[in-house]
Amino acid sequence: MLAPAVVLIPVVALLPDLVHGGGFELLADFAQAAFSPSLDPLVVGSALSGLGLTVGIALLGWASSGVLGLGLALASSRQVWTTSCALRWPADLVRRLLALPRSIHELLWGLLLLQVVGLQPAVAIAAIAIPYGALVARVLSDQLDALPDGALAALRASGVPAPQALLTALGPPLLPGLLSYGGYRLECALRSATLLGVFGLGGLGTELKLCLQSLQFHELWTGLWLLLAVMLLLETSLAGLRRRWLMPRRLGLAGPSPGSASPGLATAPAQAPGSGRSPAQSAPADAGLGDADPARLRSQASRPAQPGLPNPLVPVAVPNDGLDVDAGPGGWALAAKTATLGRRGREMVLALGVLAPLLVWLARAMAVNPLALLSWQPLPNLGGASWASVLALPWPQLVGATLLLTLIAAGLAVGLAPLLLLLTAPWPWARPLLQLVWALARLWPPPLSALLLLLLLKPGLVTAALALGFHNLGILGRLLLEARDDNQAPAEAALLGAGVGPRLALFYGRFSSLARSYLAYGAYRADVMLRETVVVGLVGAAGLGSQLLESLSAFAWDQLLALMVVYALLTLLGEDLSDRARRQLLAPP
Amino acid sequence: MAIRERWAAVLAGLSLVLLPAALPGLNPNGLNLLAPARAEQPQAKKVLRISAIPDQKAEKLNRLYPLVAAELERQLGVPVVYVPVVDYTAAVTAFRTGDLDLVWFGGLTGVQARLQKPGALVLAQRDIDVAFHSIFIANTGSGLKPIRGVKGLAELKGKRFTFGSESSTSGRLMPQYFLAKGGVKLSDFAGGAPGFSGSHDTTIALVQSGAYDAGVVNEQVWRTSLHDGRANRAKVVAIWRTPGYPDYHWIGQPNLDQRFGKGFSRKLQGAIISWRTTNPQQKQILSLFGAQQFSKSSAANYKQIEQVGRQIGKIR
Repeated sequence: MLAPAVVLIPVVALLPDLVHGGGFELLADFAQAAFSPSLDPLVVGSALSGLGLTVGIALLGWASSGVLGLGLALASSRQVWTTSCALRWPADLVRRLLALPRSIHELLWGLLLLQVVGLQPAVAIAAIAIPYGALVARVLSDQLDALPDGALAALRASGVPAPQALLTALGPPLLPGLLSYGGYRLECALRSATLLGVFGLGGLGTELKLCLQSLQFHELWTGLWLLLAVMLLLETSLAGLRRRWLMPRRLGLAGPSPGSASPGLATAPAQAPGSGRSPAQSAPADAGLGDADPARLRSQASRPAQPGLPNPLVPVAVPNDGLDVDAGPGGWALAAKTATLGRRGREMVLALGVLAPLLVWLARAMAVNPLALLSWQPLPNLGGASWASVLALPWPQLVGATLLLTLIAAGLAVGLAPLLLLLTAPWPWARPLLQLVWALARLWPPPLSALLLLLLLKPGLVTAALALGFHNLGILGRLLLEARDDNQAPAEAALLGAGVGPRLALFYGRFSSLARSYLAYGAYRADVMLRETVVVGLVGAAGLGSQLLESLSAFAWDQLLALMVVYALLTLLGEDLSDRARRQLLAPP
Repeated sequence: MAIRERWAAVLAGLSLVLLPAALPGLNPNGLNLLAPARAEQPQAKKVLRISAIPDQKAEKLNRLYPLVAAELERQLGVPVVYVPVVDYTAAVTAFRTGDLDLVWFGGLTGVQARLQKPGALVLAQRDIDVAFHSIFIANTGSGLKPIRGVKGLAELKGKRFTFGSESSTSGRLMPQYFLAKGGVKLSDFAGGAPGFSGSHDTTIALVQSGAYDAGVVNEQVWRTSLHDGRANRAKVVAIWRTPGYPDYHWIGQPNLDQRFGKGFSRKLQGAIISWRTTNPQQKQILSLFGAQQFSKSSAANYKQIEQVGRQIGKIR
């Protein structure tokens, strides 16, 4: 689990060479400003309006990606196609096609749309909706196809038409995973919306960038603290809802169990819940893994009630019992209190009822006009493409630097999170501190941390990797902490009781059971980082990302096109690799 | 059960009612950047949207351009709004897509904009833009000394060096051209690449702090910074002034006459070049521009910039 941290060795070795220390004064100013953010009503007002726009973009982008993803998931589900038309190939075709929008980072979509459509509020929303929609579609269709088809077959055999049968048999068991994943995507959408702002697509990100560029640190912190408040509020309320509605957690922490193999596309084999944990906890850990683990959903949905579980909640795939299928989790029978079930259903309807008008109001307030996306501006005619100049780009260096950047950043993020937890294990006060630092890391868009790092470090690959790694450390760290807290580890308690130190107890008692799923998630995260390398291009010498920004400012369409294709190819390749790594990690030993 | 339900309903209702109040900034006019550009669009034929490349501190731009908008509105009798943009490339793109009507471009961005929008009008430039200069600056602790000719730039090899914006004429294009003349490649700098600070003010702050050993800025911003004390001579010094080249200029959309009436672009040009230091408002604008007055300009003045742009690959 700590293996990825070996990347620290070369990075630390290189650091003395990189540090120039020239910007210490500025950095100190920056740190001091954290305690005295500007409270000027003008500054606060503009930060609030920026924040409103960012949240609006995030919510609308997220909602459209949900709708888009749901539709595309149905279109790319083998189960749906075979049930309704007895065909399978259209599903595979749609799946392949969806790989392309998914492989391109939302920032690139944003910049591309900006070029063809102009400055429109709808651009940022579409930039989030397109890649997210494709991702949601993949996750959902994987889950759909991995669901047990017994109920479906039974319904079909008894003459129920295909659409109803699909809805009844597959809707309810799909819902919990869908909602849990949806919540996670919303968190991502907030981060993406901020990032898009940094590149000029409006909202708080724009203000943050302008403040940092003019070195107005007090104003900068006003925006940062506000954003942090919103982010933490969102994260806690989503976590609260997840607990309240008994939805599956992100990181399935069960020890791998032998015997079950995954039928899903590029997914990990099943993990049966370990003993002493409620099935709800072990259920489809998605974590935006690009593909949730459908087999877990299956194992959970088809498992008979087990006596002796601490939590009486056992999911059983029963047919819908007359509740509204869209909102009612009809497939989840509760052994002890059936009442909870109805409550949850009503609350979900209520949440939907609040969300829908809110979204409409937001769209109106932001003057979003989806039709504007269709009115394309002609691209400038800058003469024929010169493919010679495209070929003349130093491709091997660019690709090499991008991959190296990804590796270093991934090693840093994946390795540092558990290492920091271990090191600070004996001190109770270190934890809130760690949580705060990680929250700031998640919050702070990587291009901004890159700009800050430049005050201390020379520009270059390692600096870019540090910025990217820091951001992802915030995401991974939180997940690890959440997972650690969710699961009681008798082993750790036993070790502690036996007089082992807190670090060792944590390491052997808890991390050992977490390691595989954590590393599997890390593999997925590495693949996200590859896509994200584009955003740290600012610090120079950072591979394809830097070249892309340079080509963009030169309006070199031919180079841009080639760079995007290479990026997409790399990402798809990376996705495949990380899928394999994950499968291996989650495979029974 | 029922109680909880009612409680939830009340909560939901309350949140719906309170949300608009909780987000005071979120009204159609307050949605910075994007909204002003578009909100006006439908009834919009009549609003003149002006902008500028963000070459200096945002606060200075926010002081200057609303003044310009107000003055033009007074002179021309049409509503004028200032739309800020986040970087040089965004200004060019927004001009091409027709989201901006009149933009204060640099030499390079102006050429890029005109190439992307054939027929765009070069309206005016400042007196200082005919022969504009860049200043190479250095941190006093870097050991760099003032240099004599272009060949002296070789001293910068191995130093941490930053440009301004990627698309800046005085902060990147012409300096890079002179660096090449002095035998310095971009990969010769420490770290294998130069930095791009984004704006001239930032370059000065970064070099002064020691984050970079040296940088290059536009002469007008440098003088202003020395004048108002933001540049501390004990920490940052000028080491070389480049030869002159043409730079900043106002560019208007080709369709201004159709939208605002015949002869509008002539009127607009006339208004800009009529600004004098004898008028208090106009004096304030001119001093923020660092100029005595504006004069007519034409596309032909920027041939040299276009050439260098092509040489360096920023124009294709």
